[in-house]
Amino acid sequence: MAYRISVDTGGTFTDVVVLDPDGQLHIGKALTTHERIFDGMQAALAVVASALGLTGPALLDASSTLVYGTTRATNAVVTKRTARTAFLTTQGFRDTLTLKEGGKHGPHDYTVDYPDPYIPRRRSFEIAERIGADGEVVLPLDHAQARAVIALLAERRFEAVAVSLLWSIANPAHELALGAMIEEHLPGVPYTLSHQLVPILREYRRASATAIDASLKPLMQAHLTGMEADLRAAGFRGDLLVSTSAGGCQHVEELVARPIHTLKSGPAMAPVAGRAASAAERMGGNVIVCDTGGTTFDVGLVRDGSLVYTRDSWLGQRWLGDIIGTSTVDVRSIGAGGGSIAWRDAGGLLRVGPQSAGSNPGPACYGRGGEHPTVTDAAMVLGYIDPGFFNGGRLSLDPAASARVIGSLAETFGQSADETAAAIMTIANELMIKAIGEITVNEGLNPRESVIVAGGGAAGFNIMPIARELGCDTVILPRTASALSACGMQASDIVFEATRSRFTDTAGFDVAAVNAALDAIEEELEAFRRGLRGASGARVRTELLVEARYRAQVWELDTRLPFSRIGGAADIAALAEAFHQTHERVYAVRDEGSAVEFVNWKGRIAITLFDAPPAPDAAATSHAPTPDARRSCYFAETGRVETAIFRGPALAAGAAIAGPAIIEEPTTTIVVTPGLSATLSAAGNYILHCAPKGA
Amino acid sequence: MTAPLDPVLMSVMANRLDGIVREMTNTLLRAARSAVISSARDFSCCLVTGDDQLLAPAEGLPVHIFGCHIQTANMRRYHEGDIRKGDAYLDNDPYGGNTHPADHTFMVPVFHEGEHLFTSVAKCHMADIGNSIPSSYFVLARDVYHEGALVFPGVRIQRDFRNIEDIVRMCRARIRVPDQWYGDYLAGLGSARVAERRLEEFCTKYGAATVKRFIAEWFDYSERRMIDNIRRLPRAQLVNKGRSDPLEGILPGGLELTVKIEIDPEEAMIHVDLSDNPPCVDVGLNTSLGAATSAVVGAIFNALEKDLPRNAGSFRRLRFTYAEESVVAAPRFPHSCSMGTTNVSERLVNITQSAFAQLGDGHGLAEGGTGLGAGMAVISGKDHRRGGAPFVNRMMLSTNGGPASPVADGWVNYAIPVIAGLMYRDSIEVDELKHPLRVNALSLVQDSAGAGRRRGAPAQTIDLTPTGNDVTAVISCDGQHTPPRGVAGGQDGTAGMTLRIGANGDEARLPNVVQVTLRKGEVLRGRDSAGGGYGRPLAREPARVLHDVLEGWESREKARDVYGVVFTGEIDDETLAVDEAATLALRRDKENTHAA
Repeated sequence: MAYRISVDTGGTFTDVVVLDPDGQLHIGKALTTHERIFDGMQAALAVVASALGLTGPALLDASSTLVYGTTRATNAVVTKRTARTAFLTTQGFRDTLTLKEGGKHGPHDYTVDYPDPYIPRRRSFEIAERIGADGEVVLPLDHAQARAVIALLAERRFEAVAVSLLWSIANPAHELALGAMIEEHLPGVPYTLSHQLVPILREYRRASATAIDASLKPLMQAHLTGMEADLRAAGFRGDLLVSTSAGGCQHVEELVARPIHTLKSGPAMAPVAGRAASAAERMGGNVIVCDTGGTTFDVGLVRDGSLVYTRDSWLGQRWLGDIIGTSTVDVRSIGAGGGSIAWRDAGGLLRVGPQSAGSNPGPACYGRGGEHPTVTDAAMVLGYIDPGFFNGGRLSLDPAASARVIGSLAETFGQSADETAAAIMTIANELMIKAIGEITVNEGLNPRESVIVAGGGAAGFNIMPIARELGCDTVILPRTASALSACGMQASDIVFEATRSRFTDTAGFDVAAVNAALDAIEEELEAFRRGLRGASGARVRTELLVEARYRAQVWELDTRLPFSRIGGAADIAALAEAFHQTHERVYAVRDEGSAVEFVNWKGRIAITLFDAPPAPDAAATSHAPTPDARRSCYFAETGRVETAIFRGPALAAGAAIAGPAIIEEPTTTIVVTPGLSATLSAAGNYILHCAPKGA
Repeated sequence: MTAPLDPVLMSVMANRLDGIVREMTNTLLRAARSAVISSARDFSCCLVTGDDQLLAPAEGLPVHIFGCHIQTANMRRYHEGDIRKGDAYLDNDPYGGNTHPADHTFMVPVFHEGEHLFTSVAKCHMADIGNSIPSSYFVLARDVYHEGALVFPGVRIQRDFRNIEDIVRMCRARIRVPDQWYGDYLAGLGSARVAERRLEEFCTKYGAATVKRFIAEWFDYSERRMIDNIRRLPRAQLVNKGRSDPLEGILPGGLELTVKIEIDPEEAMIHVDLSDNPPCVDVGLNTSLGAATSAVVGAIFNALEKDLPRNAGSFRRLRFTYAEESVVAAPRFPHSCSMGTTNVSERLVNITQSAFAQLGDGHGLAEGGTGLGAGMAVISGKDHRRGGAPFVNRMMLSTNGGPASPVADGWVNYAIPVIAGLMYRDSIEVDELKHPLRVNALSLVQDSAGAGRRRGAPAQTIDLTPTGNDVTAVISCDGQHTPPRGVAGGQDGTAGMTLRIGANGDEARLPNVVQVTLRKGEVLRGRDSAGGGYGRPLAREPARVLHDVLEGWESREKARDVYGVVFTGEIDDETLAVDEAATLALRRDKENTHAA
């Protein structure tokens, strides 16, 4: 077996994970090079290659697959460097992207300006046409007017065109006609038609997705084909795949055609990694996946072995940013991390965040001029960080600076620095506990019946007390935790989704129309599968879902179809029952007296091109390792104690470590809370036992 | 004297309670049936202590913030000695602390070791409450009998976790589209029951003694925050007046409303005097104690730091004076409070938040757009596509523009002052699917906003038409005669209007309060109002004016005439730019003219 490479390019670091022929994972990190992403990737590859006794090109040459995760599209949107894009919509509705869907943070907060539309009004054009809710033509397309608009687009040198008309999901004729005109009069200019990209009800979501997708096309086409060329030139002969927000990956040409799916693909891969880690440890299919970075804390879920999806994913803050509109892996992000600033409010209470020192200037101990006490400074004061071994010794820290800023905050409370630092950790934990609570409650997942998989460089500082508070007994923290997303790519499938909007309800179920929609979905999935290189003989899983709700509800729930086609009344009843059960799980109530409405029908296909890294068969022998050092650390439970310090790379499978203790891996640190314990599994994961003794 | 609670534990416990009310909110929002709850977000959730003090409100409508403690107190009084675990109570009595009859309030007493420690409260605006007209808002209601709402004064609706079916049957017998009401009932009750489970876990985890200490200290903490904030305000006596729209043939001059606010930084108290207001009126415009006080409290919080805790602790620093009998906060039975949370309450929010601007630049807010216009009408009829099945619902398709603040421009999707932007807008496609009507156009209105250093948000305009049978729209808009006012030199916004356009194209302006039945071929056009500005328009940064012109919110002419900003180039070819020299000269000129 050859090597398999996965690459996750983050804002700061590029993570490379390589699976070797023996089934071992190796990590390499390098700074992301935004001017030319390939340079950072090569640097990180070189780190792994040298550990394997190879050169970078030799490693590439010996690799069969490379999965590439990119934040290029996300960065382009955030920095407003997307293509000059025209937005074409139905006459009378030019403001759709401005008006959005409403919603605002804080009823008493009047400090925020209203956000700008994704495409400015001067680049939005109305087309004289109107389709009605039943697909009927209310106003025929005015071809002359439409051609005049498109001529104007040519004259003004637009680089991309987004077309989203009202009710194109019920009758796409007008969008198709506009597409043909663009082909004719704007040859070579990429465009997106809403009914083809996201055939879902709700005009703002469809328009937003269409606008974002079109605006990314020129850029992502250049980036992805350029990346492929660079890799080929460097000697890579294998299969290049790109990760997507659906928690899978696809070939380059698919994502050149639909670049929107590369948005947020990094966070979407963390639950994939979590699912694989839980499966490798035989810990079950309900997983809470936490990824702790320097400034954000991401939470995702796996339920019954399946990823959890949402249509309510935003670029930027919810309501203030732009909705992505496609179905993406549900990952919630809060602004909390090592950089969150601690302060004392006017009522005398200790607060943590929402302000963050970020990575620049960063925590005081970074020595870059940060003067505010942060969570990282608190961890430093408590003794959890070895100033000489942080991030594998690559960044040397200033513990005196942490002591100074935490000390002066502690004085205002009349406390010791230790007490205040421990309080900062507790309050920071609360923000994360609430974030986990919200997503698990929303999805009807009980943390007590789930396992947590923790990743990100800062996860190990506080995941044990968080799990204990949530009543979750077990945390899996992979040795490769700091590169969770890249690890997820090693376990990912090719994932593709097809959607049709076909509104009906249980009172007058339109069997023929729904079956026609399901036919169309399965045809699209099958065509995708047939067109996929290297997929013959691969394992395929298909699932059909419908976004459904009770009559007059506004928000839908994903409900899995219990069968592939609707036969008759019994099937409709079974489908309704599947919805009742979903509704009851999420909202604790069911209303059998109500009709159920079905809005969008979806099919999702997962094709396994390669298997997840195998679990090692060696059994681990339980033993108590000898600490490599001792250091004074402070814990709320015990006060100051001489604490055992273990160097992670020296630990063997089966190592059992009782808290209090610190385990230092090159890219992550694990604090084993007093009274709790950790073991290192044969698969190379730390299993953190978080149930209090006697429980 | 017990030792004070560890402040870290206090933070943790406060965080847990906040998590509980957020879970309540999410449950209600997503499970509710009617658009008025799930889209317009006309609901709120909170936790009240066992001795009837507001402890933890969710991020809900400001107009629900005050009064739930009166409702829980009444529940305990009416059922003294007979309240137990498994009970749930329904209250919508505007004379008993509730906002108005349309708000069905579900209360679940929460017990720990036999002691009633909390009451969880979910308040939802129902799409229909059995009124004599097909709308839960009835402006012209002469009295409660004419209004016709079923009123439940703290009535037990569940015992041992099971419905008291008599009450449910009563509702089903009188409320239009009863399944919709029942779905919302399940959602509201489900929300209060979710909180019950979580609060029981909370009490088991921390124990009753710690929970009680937490409550006492959390109130003290909240009061300290409030004291600190009020101490930083100048001493002042503010008097501000405003006027509601006229009511054809009944209140030709509208109602003049007065809010007096005395700020005493030394005592760290804000005293609000609402007594100088007109007596009750024989229409549905009277405001309940709960609604009017909430409107004013919400507006005061708009003028204070944004993250102040809102609970009985911070409320200790607010004192209220009411009239014996008045349209503001002092209704006398049987006057109707049908519109208690909107019309007069909207004006009270505006009057109060803009009063604070009298303290000087940097304080208070301009007035926000008011009135539930055509895009927010209650529509009803029979759907020809569904065999004539009846429908009734409030839409949320277009909204008023929000007020400017000292630092930010107005929020576009504001709705009305008592909703404050929290609602979701309806999707046009969803509304066309659910109702037999079509939206012909929906857009922002150029040059409608109140100019200022910070600009109010522009108005919106919408055209609606039936696609089959007649559609009846009930519009009770208070925002078509008195526009939202600017403050601190900011200009007023513009008022809204409702038009009916006949099949032949003739336009006719309709009264601000109207019930109109539209035939196929006729169009209902609604223009909403735009928010007032804050500070002088000539002080607006030219870059912001450029943005407004590029987005089409302001015209080049208004930019020149009102903001004194001159441009070169054109919008369409992306060459529009501020002419710095000409702008400087024009602004100097305008300042001089002004000074002269």
